[in-house]
Order: sequence, then C-alpha cells, then structure tokens
Amino acid sequence: MATLLLLLTPPVLSAALAAVVRPYRRAVGWANAFLSLVSVGGALALWAHVLAGHVVTAGPGAFLRVDALSALLGFGVSVVGALAAWLGPGLSRGEDYDATQTRRFRIFANLFTFTMLFAVSTSSVGVMWIAIEATTITSAVLIPLHLSKASVEASWKYILLSSVGIALAFAGTVLAYVDFVAIVGRQAAALNWPVLVAAAPLLHPEVMRLAFVFVLVGYGTKAGLAPMHTWLPDAHAEAPAPLSAMMSGVLLAVALYAVMRWAAVANATLGAAFTDQFLLGLGLLSLGMAAFSLVRQHNYKRLLAYSSIEHTGLVCVGLGLGPLGTFAAMLHLLNHTLAKSMLFFLSGRVLQRYQTTRIGEVSGLLQTMPVTGGLFAAGLLALAGLPPFGIFISEFALLRAGFAAGRFWAMGLVLLLLTVAFVGVIAQLNRMLYGAPSAGVPRGEPSRWPLVPLALCLAALVALGLTIPSPLERLIAGIVEELGS
Amino acid sequence: MDATFAQLAMLGSSLMLIFGLILLWRRRVPAYINAFTGQSVALAGVAAATGYFGTESELYWVAAFVLLLKGLVIPSLLRRMGRRFGSERELDPYVNTATSLLLAGLLVLFGYAVMRPLVVTSRLPTRASMALAMGLILVSLFVIVTRKKALTQIVGFLMLENGIALLAILGTYGIPLIVELGVFLDALLGFLVMQIFVYRIHETFETIDVEQLSRLRH
Repeated sequence: MATLLLLLTPPVLSAALAAVVRPYRRAVGWANAFLSLVSVGGALALWAHVLAGHVVTAGPGAFLRVDALSALLGFGVSVVGALAAWLGPGLSRGEDYDATQTRRFRIFANLFTFTMLFAVSTSSVGVMWIAIEATTITSAVLIPLHLSKASVEASWKYILLSSVGIALAFAGTVLAYVDFVAIVGRQAAALNWPVLVAAAPLLHPEVMRLAFVFVLVGYGTKAGLAPMHTWLPDAHAEAPAPLSAMMSGVLLAVALYAVMRWAAVANATLGAAFTDQFLLGLGLLSLGMAAFSLVRQHNYKRLLAYSSIEHTGLVCVGLGLGPLGTFAAMLHLLNHTLAKSMLFFLSGRVLQRYQTTRIGEVSGLLQTMPVTGGLFAAGLLALAGLPPFGIFISEFALLRAGFAAGRFWAMGLVLLLLTVAFVGVIAQLNRMLYGAPSAGVPRGEPSRWPLVPLALCLAALVALGLTIPSPLERLIAGIVEELGS
Repeated sequence: MDATFAQLAMLGSSLMLIFGLILLWRRRVPAYINAFTGQSVALAGVAAATGYFGTESELYWVAAFVLLLKGLVIPSLLRRMGRRFGSERELDPYVNTATSLLLAGLLVLFGYAVMRPLVVTSRLPTRASMALAMGLILVSLFVIVTRKKALTQIVGFLMLENGIALLAILGTYGIPLIVELGVFLDALLGFLVMQIFVYRIHETFETIDVEQLSRLRH
C-alpha cells in the first residue's frame, strides 16, 4: 500500500504544486525533479515486492494491483517521467519556453506521468481504459506548446485518431463484459483482471474473438501499430522533446500493456493461436512500413518516430511467438524505452542549436556538440541493433524464439526488414555527424549537466547488452508466467 | 413485460441510429447539433427504460448524467462553436450524400453480421437492439472518416461514444457506476480539449476544414 502511494502520489503533488504556484518559479521545477526520484524509488520497491513473490494490492475492492508486468511498466514510466522532470523546461535560465509555457508543461507532463502509472497499476479493465484515455488528453494539450501550423495539425490528428481508437477499445471491453455478465452474472469485481482471466474459459469464443479484435485495433491505434499509425510520426515529431520522449519511450509501451492484458484473457478463452496470428501480422506490417519509411526520411525527429513504430512492431511480433518470444519482447520494450527517450532528449538539444529538424541542414554535429553528437550516434547505433547494446541482445533473443517456434518465413522477413531499417538509420546518421558545421552555428555544448542522465541511459543500454541482471531476468520470467497462466 | 421492454429498446435504438444518419445528409451545423441532442435524449430514455424494466436503479443516475452532460452541457458548448464557425458548411465531403447513405445502410447490415455471435448467445430482451448500437458505432466512424470539417468530426466522435454507451446499457444493464463516471469525465474533458483545438485550428489556419491540415507528410 505504502509503496504504491510512493509510486503514484509524487506526480500528482508535482502537478498540483505547478498549478498552485503562479507565475512559474524554478523552485517548483526542482521540487518536481526530486519528487520524481521518489516515484522511481516506489517503482523499485514494488519491483522488490513482486520478486519476493507478492502481488501488491490496495484500495477498496483491491482496485490497485501490481504484479510483475505492472512493476516493469511502472519502472519504465517513472524513469522516463524523472528524465522529463530533470531535463524538461523550467530548471535553468535561457530556454525556449516562457513562464506560462513552462508552467503548463510542468502541470500536464506530471498528470501525463500519473495517468500512465495509474493505467498500469489498476486491476480493473474499465479503470485502465479511463486512465489510458486520460493519457491522450493530458499529452495532446502539450503538443502545441509552441503554437505553429504544424504543431496544431499534429495535435488535432493525434487527439482525434487516438480518441476514436480508444473508443473502439472501450467497445471491445463492453463486448467482453456483456458476455461475462450473461454467463457469470453481475458482480462488482467483474472487470478485474484476475476475475476476468478466471472466467475466460467459460466465455463464448465467437464473442471473445470479436471483443479482442476491437481491443487490438483500439489500443493498437494508441500503440502506433500500422495501419493505424498515421498520427504517430506527426505527433512525436512536433511535440516538445521531453514530451516526445515520454510518448515514444513509454506511452506506446503502456498501450501495448493493455493489449497484452487482453491477449491473456483472450488466450484463456481461445487458446494462443488466435491472438498470435493477429499480433504477428500487425507487428510485421508495422515493422515493414516503418523500415521503408526510415530509408526516405528527411527529418530526424520523424526518423525517431518511425523507429518507434519499428520497435513497437518488433515487440508485437515477439508477443506472438509464445513464452520465449514474450521474454524477448519485454526485454526489448525496456531497451527501447531507454534508447528512445535518450534520443528524443538529444534531438531537443540538436534542434535548439541548429533550429531545424531537417537532416540535410544538420551537419558536423560531432564538431559543434561533441558529447551530444557522440551520444546521439551511439543511441542510433543501438536502435539499429548493433552490439554491444541491449537492443542487439533482445532482437537476437526474439529471432531465436521465432526460429524455435518454427516461424521461419516470418523470421526471415523480420531479418530482412531489420536490415532495411539498419541501412536507413545509418545512412541518415552519417549525414548528420560529419561534414563542415553549418554556417552560423555556435560550437560547444549549451549546457553540460543534462548530459549526465542521458549518458546513464546509454550506460544502462550497454550493461543490458553485456548481461541481463538477475532481478530483471526474474521479473520478466514472472511476467511470462503471469501471461501464460 | 419483456415484449414491451424489447419494443421500447428497439424504438430508442432506432431513433438513435436515425439521428446518427442525419449527419450524412444535412449540411448545416445547427442540424448536426440538434441531431446529437436528440440522440442523447433518446439514449437517456433507453437508460431509464432499462433501469425500470431491468430493476437497476443505478441506471437512473446514468440517465440523469447523460441528459445533463450530453443533452445540455455539450450541446450548448457546440452551439457556441456553431455560432462562430457555422458558416463553414460541409459542402463537399469525401463521399457524396447518396453514396454515403447507401454505404451507411451496408454498414448497419454489417453491424448485424458482426453482432450475430452476441445476439445468438444472449437471452436478454434487448438483444436485437444491440446490433443497431453496433450499426451506430460503424456509421459514426464513417462520418469521422469522410467529413472534412473539424466540427462535424467532433459530432461524429460524440455519436460514436453514444453508440458505445448504448451497447453497454443494452448488453449489460449498465457497467459499474464508478467506471461509468470515469467515462463521463473523460468524455467531457476530451470534448473540451477538442474544442480548444478547433479554436486553435481556426486561429492558425483561418478555417476549420481539416483538408487544410496537410503540411505534415511522410
């Protein structure tokens, strides 16, 4: 109970503080930064509880519930939330945002973090839906922080498509619940995961198929799976860097979390074959669409956005490959969270210096900002799947799981598409790193200390490329067990 | 008793679907807003009837909320937007009126096909109406996809929510009240943010025609 509060209350407090103090003061930002660390501490404590074999529950009717899957997602969200609190606008002088914009960022970024944390730590499908819908609202408000035609357009596409998608996921939830009520009867806890999974074998397979398709299309829209991804490159590219990092690094993962929970229910009714074929299909489609879009990208923020679709697709493929694949997918999810949040923060620094998001107009990055450029290069190499970074390991594990499951054609396709994506990313990277620095761009790092947390992200990625720490391995093994039973 | 209830549910659902179809053949914003208001009142009626015949007192609360939020608050906010942007009519949607109505008819049939497994397995008196709810959901999606004005898309989205609420009421006699309240809150907040964005779109593009939103490509 206490650890759950430790995880959930800091973002609420930070948001309230930012809302009350007006105009914005930097003390609010610092309070936010330190509170965000409390949240990370709460997530780690929950992790330890889960490893000790407990499922942490709290609240009336145990509507808060943290198991291994929630613990992993909670950790990811709180870490990226902390990165945004430390690196977001409002801690130092001389930024691109005025006091009003900074205040708005601090309010809604924290509410956004809270809604994501709440979504992964509730046991009710209904409440989870409400929280995920709220993530759309809280994040959409921040996309046009700098008002421009492009950001207004991106935010409209984002809120409309995501809201419609999420509404369909609710229709799926209702369909499953209709069948549940018809068979088991009305009860207060009916929408809770454990109850739903336990009752799933009794439900009608035809109805469950229909419900799962609705849920997959709905939350899949939010997760940026092709062909429902069209909002994603716009929103991720136009949002302020810290928000892009949160949306790309963890919001996609939270949407996938919902898909995974529902897949576990559907599997209990239908057996795994039905959900596997959908997850594999959508995953491969996303991977393919993203790989070919990466090759012809002219905008580095959109490059990162398409790479998010690529990796979300990979995670989806992994989820469709049985227990080994799920293990690889969870590892990949964590790796992607670290790599992509780091890169979006770095892209913010590049944008601040070069004042453009076009790859062709950024050159000599290694000369103008050596550390930022170096981290940017390392991050992109990690995303492309090179050793010694964690993504290499999780992609390798994923392919091995696929071959072990006998999916030779699908894995051949994955390898081919990963190669295409690799070529696309590396070619663009070369154009940015080298060459003569653009005229009129000052040299040197604008600020040094924000590089420390980002370098830590990279260090974690390298560590995950060398070994999988035992607590992480046990946590993911716990997730595989939960979803399989 | 059950027969009366089944007929009432069917009547309410059909009314809601017809109000949804109005979006496809009318061009003026006030007509859309009236259609949405009428649809919400019908939804409240279905909720109250289900509360009475299914003896679920919670549904009276749901009916009251629907009436207040979707029958009163949101329509009045929509009217304010309509006064500002009402001159921008839905003149040339991506699909013309005749084809739209034809496709909507097919979508309703498709709704019946999709809901067959649920209708067959259910023993509720309301089961036949559930297919109409699915029809309304699909028609609303069609409106959002084929209409160009941001305001029309918002009304389409609100009708989509009404369709899902109808499905929930008919199929389960009400989802748990706490979840229902959260859904209402999200619906209101989502609508308010969308409304802000429409004003922003108008500020920056000087129109609410989303066809103009085409700067971001690839």
